Amino acid sequence: MSTRALSTTATGRTSRRGRAARWPYILPAAIFLAVLSAYPLVQLVRMSVSAVSSRTLRDPWEFTGLDNLMRGIESGDTGAALLRTLIFVTIVFTVGMIGGLAAALALRGRRGSSGFLLALMVFVWALPPVVNGSVWKFLLGDAGLFNELARTVGLTDTAIPFLYDQHLSLISVALVNSWAVVPFNALVFRAALMGIPPEVIEAAKLDGASAWQEIVHILVPSVRATAVVLSVLTVVYAFRSFDFIYVMTYGGPGTSTVTLPFLAYLQAFVRYDFGLGAATSIVAGALVIVLAIAYARNVRKEEAA
Amino acid sequence: MTTATTRRPSRWMPSTPVASTMRFLLFLAYGIPIVWILTTSLKQPGDVLSRDAAFFFEPTLDAYVAALSNGGLLDAALQSLTIASATTVLTLVLAVPAAYFLARVQGGWSTALLTGLIVLQIMPQTSMVIPLFQVFGEWRILDQTIAVILADTALLTPFAVLLLRPFFRSVPETLEEAASIDGASTWRTFRSILVPLISNGLATTATLIFLISWGEFLYAVNFFLSPGNYPLSALLAQQVSAYGINWPGLMALAVITSIPILVLFSFTYRFLKEGLTLGAVK
Repeated sequence: MSTRALSTTATGRTSRRGRAARWPYILPAAIFLAVLSAYPLVQLVRMSVSAVSSRTLRDPWEFTGLDNLMRGIESGDTGAALLRTLIFVTIVFTVGMIGGLAAALALRGRRGSSGFLLALMVFVWALPPVVNGSVWKFLLGDAGLFNELARTVGLTDTAIPFLYDQHLSLISVALVNSWAVVPFNALVFRAALMGIPPEVIEAAKLDGASAWQEIVHILVPSVRATAVVLSVLTVVYAFRSFDFIYVMTYGGPGTSTVTLPFLAYLQAFVRYDFGLGAATSIVAGALVIVLAIAYARNVRKEEAA
Repeated sequence: MTTATTRRPSRWMPSTPVASTMRFLLFLAYGIPIVWILTTSLKQPGDVLSRDAAFFFEPTLDAYVAALSNGGLLDAALQSLTIASATTVLTLVLAVPAAYFLARVQGGWSTALLTGLIVLQIMPQTSMVIPLFQVFGEWRILDQTIAVILADTALLTPFAVLLLRPFFRSVPETLEEAASIDGASTWRTFRSILVPLISNGLATTATLIFLISWGEFLYAVNFFLSPGNYPLSALLAQQVSAYGINWPGLMALAVITSIPILVLFSFTYRFLKEGLTLGAVK
């Protein structure tokens, strides 16, 4: 044992033996994920190039090459869903990031209402999306709070179809999704803001900086690194999102809230065309991975410059 | 010194009108939905659509009585508890050692594994439900609780590893060396020194796994073939997408589903606030 200790300290890094001793720590997770994630992913790829319906799910699948993919593209479903996904991600990203930063700036206080408000927001964030989605479906309904207010103010006589209009519904669900991500972003931004040394801010104050100048020239630039990480997380979150769509509109009215990941689900579990759903899933999965890598690269380049 | 202390509050308590307005708006945005769930769950179905009863109504526990008298609710709650606890335990058993490995061993396989975990973390859940349905059918475990537990664990293990890794990285390696000089085995060092040191990260991760698997409904709705086996979240998802929703009943179900979250949250918020930040940023 002392030889091991010596070899560890002598090299200053983990010795070969130390490394070998650590392999058993990764094995259970590696085996579990190989069986329950990697194997299903292989099956997903196989399905995407085969004719698979709910009837033939248990039989050997007929290889059809890129047929599923082409069917999806030619029907126009894939392209339309992709466009909706981009709109959806753009809204959630913009509102989620700006809202998160604004909330963090307003909640910098350690005491009083700020602490309570932050706890309330994080609690709402922690609630199951199916609970939050249900409430918003109710609030945005014909007899919901927003329509009551609009009618009381005299803005409208008929109910605003927040979730029934083919253009409005996508925006409504995206805004609710943004609302759901703001508390997390605010929490992380707030921690970054609190990490700024007080001297820096006091120096700016002594130089006569206004509150606005303080925000623009000191606070925002110092949370840039945090903003980069949060951007990637928010984009990926928005892209993957399906729970609010499932609960609030189920893709409707018509197909107006069907994003790419939700299209894959509908194709497989509503149309029972597992091959088509798998092909759409591959497109969605590949896209979000490329998006994340491209984004991370761009940001790194920008930071190096 | 005096100036610094008098200045401090103005720095920590931004009291500009803009900040106050922002706080007020946030209070409305996150407070109203909570208040609305509660008040709606205390209404009669007829009052929900009535304009006069928007704020002033006679509260009633009818919706709760109806929900609780339905024997299925208790089964669903037990099902939720089983799924969430089993997923939490299983995920931690797999993820804690894995996170330790990935925090200490660098290069080669370790990098490849880490990349694999990030890819799994990014994959949409709606993509994974398709092949898992087929795989579970092959294994003949559809309609069984274990299917949902396995799927939830596969979903949350990458997340847990990525969240826990920075906590292990923040523990200096010299600490382990000291322990091994004292004759402790790697396993013993891990179990009795490292794991207690990251208890904050562990509490955060465990809470999040429990929260997410408690609210998960996509796997539950698809792997259970009959609603009789549904956990609370799936029951709620099923009822909210039905036509002619009974809103007081639905909101009562939402409140019942959220109470365990409130209890857990009140105990763990202290850890969550710190832990989430570290895990997300590093």
